[in-house]
Amino acid sequence: MVIGSRRARPDGATVAATATAVLMALALGMIFFYVPTDVDQGYSQRIFYFHVPIALTTYTLFLWSALNAARYLWRRDPSLDLKSYVPMHLGVIFGSLTLATGSLWARISWGTWWFWGDTQLTTFLIIFLFNCAYFMLRFSVEPGERRATYSAVYALLGVGLIPLSVIGVRFAQRNELIHPITFNSNGANMDGSMFLTFLVALAAMLSLAVTMYLVELRGKRIDDRIRAIRRLAEART
Amino acid sequence: MRAYRALLRKDLLLEWRGRELVPAMLAFVLGAMVLVRFGLGGETLAGGTRAATGLLWVIVVFTSMLALVRSFAQEREHGIWDGLLSTPADRSAIWAARATATFLFLALTQVVAVPLFWLFFLQEGRSPSLGVLVAALLLADLGVAMLGSLLAGLATHVRAREVLLPVMFLPFMLPLVTVAVRLTVDTISPQTRGFHTSQGLGFLALYDTIFGLLGWALFEFVVED
Repeated sequence: MVIGSRRARPDGATVAATATAVLMALALGMIFFYVPTDVDQGYSQRIFYFHVPIALTTYTLFLWSALNAARYLWRRDPSLDLKSYVPMHLGVIFGSLTLATGSLWARISWGTWWFWGDTQLTTFLIIFLFNCAYFMLRFSVEPGERRATYSAVYALLGVGLIPLSVIGVRFAQRNELIHPITFNSNGANMDGSMFLTFLVALAAMLSLAVTMYLVELRGKRIDDRIRAIRRLAEART
Repeated sequence: MRAYRALLRKDLLLEWRGRELVPAMLAFVLGAMVLVRFGLGGETLAGGTRAATGLLWVIVVFTSMLALVRSFAQEREHGIWDGLLSTPADRSAIWAARATATFLFLALTQVVAVPLFWLFFLQEGRSPSLGVLVAALLLADLGVAMLGSLLAGLATHVRAREVLLPVMFLPFMLPLVTVAVRLTVDTISPQTRGFHTSQGLGFLALYDTIFGLLGWALFEFVVED
């Protein structure tokens, strides 16, 4: 009966994966063939259309994780613990990609792999370390309610850490203007076609994250169910 | 409030009788400062007062870690947890009392650390402003104590807690130290460009407020069983 209903209506992950494939193809086409080359930075500026959407996706994933952590503490529903863990896990992947693409871009446009004076790179490093600590905590506690609660508490602390890191690091840096300012209070600081490409790339990246989220969530649920069945079977024998 | 006072009294009394933590922290501060002094070059100070002031903050962070790792150790080792949790006291009172005690221990350690710093590191009459340094230290101690007590509670029932606590704690220290170092180093010879002392202290106060609220709200989940 479950199979029948699946055939009638494609599930969320399939829809998301299809949307990702279309959007990603469109974004790549626009980045390499449509958008004009930047006057100042030349061809290499195109990495911007990967780097910034990936960074924004990372922030979104953390926000989603923290939101579900708060909901878990409120409602105590184990599925919310998974919904908080999975985006945090994906956040590490996207976070590493942000650091890697940022570092590449830094090498090309500033001539150095890493620049401590740059606010956003440094902030991301702090968040990355926070992330690693989350996993160390999570896997130091036996699975169960305690693990879920501790993970949720630590994830929520990140909500305090991220804005404080952004403000603090920006405060303390002397050369804060080295990172290109793309968005300010007047809106997007770029040409119309560049902005359009950026939006498509952002949509593609977000939709990729949603797909990965749904797939991993399903995997984790199947995992849990198999474990429960195995426990039952062991109890019977 | 009564529970808070009683718990704080218990924490301070335990330390007064056992003298376990503060002497160890003092010895650690002294050792770390000597080590840093040699690390910066025996006779002439590499990097000068500015580098030393930055390193003072690193020492402050590591000393506070010492206090946090031992935090709730008595409760764990002597089975005090169950007793504490069976009282009708608000869970947040346990956190608040622990944070206050940690704050007092840190401040006490710094009463010794700051003069030592002056003695060891200051050269040619260049020194950071004492007022700003003390204000920044007190605000930082408060933040460290409030956040740290929550994390220490979190680490209590975890495998390898002595290793895990520093790992969980350090990312939260990065924005704090970044601002605190800039704040105190700039009072030596200002190289500011729109950075004011009040802004820096304001940031530290914001840090305290955020982690104070989070600690107060989240601690009850940490000790619920």
